[in-house]
Amino acid sequence: MSYIDAGYAIALGVLAAYGAILWRRRQRLERAAARSGGRRAP
Amino acid sequence: MWRDTVLVAGKDLRIELRSRVVMHQVVPVGVLVLVLFAFALGPDRAPMAKAAPGLFWVAVLFASVLAVQRSFAVEASDGARDGLRLSGLDPAGVFLGKSAAVAVQLVVLEVVLTAGVVVLYGSHIRSYGSIIVAGLAGTAGLAAAGTLYGALAAGLRVRETLLPFLFLPVAAPVLLAGTRAWQVALGTAGNVGNVGSAGDPWVRLLLVFAAVYLALGVVIFGPLQEAS
Amino acid sequence: MNPTDTEVTPWSPTATWVVRGLGMAAAVAVAATVWLGLWVTPPDQAQHNLVRLVYVHPPIAWVALYLAFGVAAASSVLWLWPRTRSRFWDRLAVSAVEVGTVFTALTLITGSIWGRPTWGVWWAWDARLTSTALLLVLLLGYLAVRRVPADPDSRARRSAVVALVAAVDVPIVHFSVDWWHTLHQGATVLNANLSPTIHGSMAWTLLLGFVAFTLLFAWMLAIRYRIEVLSERLLDSELDVALHERWAEGTGPVAGEPGGALASTGRRA
Repeated sequence: MSYIDAGYAIALGVLAAYGAILWRRRQRLERAAARSGGRRAP
Repeated sequence: MWRDTVLVAGKDLRIELRSRVVMHQVVPVGVLVLVLFAFALGPDRAPMAKAAPGLFWVAVLFASVLAVQRSFAVEASDGARDGLRLSGLDPAGVFLGKSAAVAVQLVVLEVVLTAGVVVLYGSHIRSYGSIIVAGLAGTAGLAAAGTLYGALAAGLRVRETLLPFLFLPVAAPVLLAGTRAWQVALGTAGNVGNVGSAGDPWVRLLLVFAAVYLALGVVIFGPLQEAS
Repeated sequence: MNPTDTEVTPWSPTATWVVRGLGMAAAVAVAATVWLGLWVTPPDQAQHNLVRLVYVHPPIAWVALYLAFGVAAASSVLWLWPRTRSRFWDRLAVSAVEVGTVFTALTLITGSIWGRPTWGVWWAWDARLTSTALLLVLLLGYLAVRRVPADPDSRARRSAVVALVAAVDVPIVHFSVDWWHTLHQGATVLNANLSPTIHGSMAWTLLLGFVAFTLLFAWMLAIRYRIEVLSERLLDSELDVALHERWAEGTGPVAGEPGGALASTGRRA
């Protein structure tokens, strides 16, 4: 693999991974918020 | 504000005079760092002498972390921190006072380390003037930035590891400029253009650094203290 | 009970639409940049194929060093300034720092990868690389301070100060290292500046690259901001639930008797 390919692959790979992590974190939090939003303290 | 500065500086220095923690623990650590470097670079004196300016400042940097931690540790017990906050003293004065106390302690350390460098590494100082000015300017900057971060980390349980992590990168320019200034003073600087001319650029940088962090500290110390 | 305590309002339709649009635009732009950069544009006379990294490295560096860091520093100042203080700035700051950290790390990595075949070294201590490396450490310091458990206000305060100090320090570092080199032996051999004669498809692709990564940053910033809002509220609601479980224990069976806390409300020993 050439330097250029490695460079592109790493840059895009890391950004894609981070983007996916952000997305999943948000999904989970949205679901949790929807659940606990209905559960009010007595 | 200045009255409070003197008050707080006096208090911190009196505590130091009585407990002698910096003299008996921090200064020896600084000398120890010099000795350890000798182990790392020796046994030939030549590489040590060449690296001496940098090693001096690295030792100062590490010791300043300890000095700052000590400066805030004296207030950690018996709610002294809250007492200080509620005492009505001007926060800017508290900041300057604590920085001044730390600076004084660091100057003492630096005198010892300078002697150490001359003795252990065989350095020859050609220009005491630039050493002194650079030392004072650098120390002021380190004390200011250190006190600012020390206040931030004070009271946190992770302060022992957090303070170096935060402070040392910020202190890097002092290390850089201080080393260059020392190199000029030792005459080992090589080709540096206007060597030793008035307004040595590195000393100017140290002064700018000190001015910036003193100003920042004065402005932000008060608001920072509101964090519990 | 106050309904706004544990409820988080979902994004308005406009906001959702904007963010979704940002995301899609970013994805398309990045893909286009990659396609143009790797295949369509010609190799450089001097650097041959290595020039292709110019469509990726400078845009990422721009996002990291100016955009993200700028937003983080500005937000921190705006939070510290009592008149403009608002949770919005604190959340924006941490989002910018976190996304910025990723971009900064990538700046160093892509720069290093570009440097190795071009100049023969993985790393050099020139002004730009050194200040970028230091910026990364300072950003990690911010994130470390952020992790310390504290009430949102104290945490915001500490983080903002760290950001401010970093904002002041990075220029000083850059300046001093630059000086170091020029005073030492003339200009450094590493000249990452592009030749001014870049033109044609290369120039357009470069522009696209800047746009693409800026869009990507904006999208990530928005998502990270939303995450911050949600996790703050979740923490609050978890705290609420835990508190009420405690109170319920107090009015329920005698301590020591195992039993559900919430279920035992009202039963006295």
